[in-house]
Amino acid sequence: MLYQTLQDALFAAIAATGFAAISNPPRQAYIYCAILAACGHAFRFILMSASFAGINIIPATLIAALTIGFLAVLMASHARFPAETCLFPSLLPMIPGVYAYKAFGGLALCLFSESSGGFTTNFYLLAYNSLTCCAILLCMVVGGTLPIFILKKISFQATR
Amino acid sequence: MTDPTISDSYSHPTAEELSLFLSRYCARLLGAGATCIRLEKNATRIARAYGMELELTIMPRHIHLSIWRDGHTGATTAIATMRHCATSFDINTRLSRLSWEIADGKLDFHSASRQLDRIGKISTHPTWATLILVTIANAAFCRLFGGDPAAMIIAGIATAVGFHIKTCLLNRNVDTRAAFIACSFVSTILGATDTLFSIGDTPAITIGTSVLYLVPGIPLLNSFSDMLYRHYLCAISRAADATILTGCLSIGLCAGMSLMGIGMF
Repeated sequence: MLYQTLQDALFAAIAATGFAAISNPPRQAYIYCAILAACGHAFRFILMSASFAGINIIPATLIAALTIGFLAVLMASHARFPAETCLFPSLLPMIPGVYAYKAFGGLALCLFSESSGGFTTNFYLLAYNSLTCCAILLCMVVGGTLPIFILKKISFQATR
Repeated sequence: MTDPTISDSYSHPTAEELSLFLSRYCARLLGAGATCIRLEKNATRIARAYGMELELTIMPRHIHLSIWRDGHTGATTAIATMRHCATSFDINTRLSRLSWEIADGKLDFHSASRQLDRIGKISTHPTWATLILVTIANAAFCRLFGGDPAAMIIAGIATAVGFHIKTCLLNRNVDTRAAFIACSFVSTILGATDTLFSIGDTPAITIGTSVLYLVPGIPLLNSFSDMLYRHYLCAISRAADATILTGCLSIGLCAGMSLMGIGMF
């Protein structure tokens, strides 16, 4: 369990650092993105693992995003970045990309279904994947942004 | 008695000067991918530093601002078009710091103007460095989904080629949506080699993650953030942009999988 959690943290940190590069953060921000992503993703992994809590991916994402959010606000004020600079790239490894394109795949299969049974199955895939994708995204953003809202004074003075 | 329309512009710009400065500032900040709440806070902070009041209307591609000095009845209005550029948290950070430097009186108006010009000329990270980082990131992402080492290598190669094509196409001003379809298609074809040649044990994960570098994560996050602060127009616009790009990604993915004869589920 410990090995798997550390592995999850390591790969989440690498993924966050790499995806952060697309959004051109300040060079000093990469290390903060890596730490935040590692903490958040590993926490979600622990929450979801059957041997610990076995929580569904949606509430687990909300709790992990809240953790990342609070840590991001505290780190941002220390590093003098806007909280989003560290926060958004750190959330990226939790983006439900697989659900998103499976939802579009379901839509395509629905359109080309030739029987009502096939259509029903594909519509289920479309609905399930798109709802899960939206719910995860909502939890990620609400969880990540809520700390900025709660700690407004710290968040918007971070670059002072 | 001094004429209020002539500025002592080192410390007290006129409403016209400040509105021009703020329109450039807001256009740059919105273009760099800042959330609406940050744009509002920063711009209001700058205006108040010069003893003026500001009202902002933020549209998806334009910003409309009105500025007036306390005690004066006339307001100056400016409309700025968003400066399109790649999302840049570096620019976002520097512009936010600039707003505090003005608010704390560390910069006079002319220095702030020059600083804004300098921030506008900041270059993004070298393309090759971004390419390497994104390649490694997507390989790591593949691992997070349970991919084996072969899957990670193939997903990495598919990402590197796809990302390179994306950079080339966008540099040649090809439409972003068309570029996304092309990149997704090529990455899917490369990702499908795991299935076709039975290289690893997790071919489905390889093909699934080989296009994930294209998921527009930051616009999606910005969109939901704007929604929380009730900037619904910008939120819907950003969500629509992100949905269209995800749709383009899926079109390329479906086309690639159909060509290679691979099922999605």
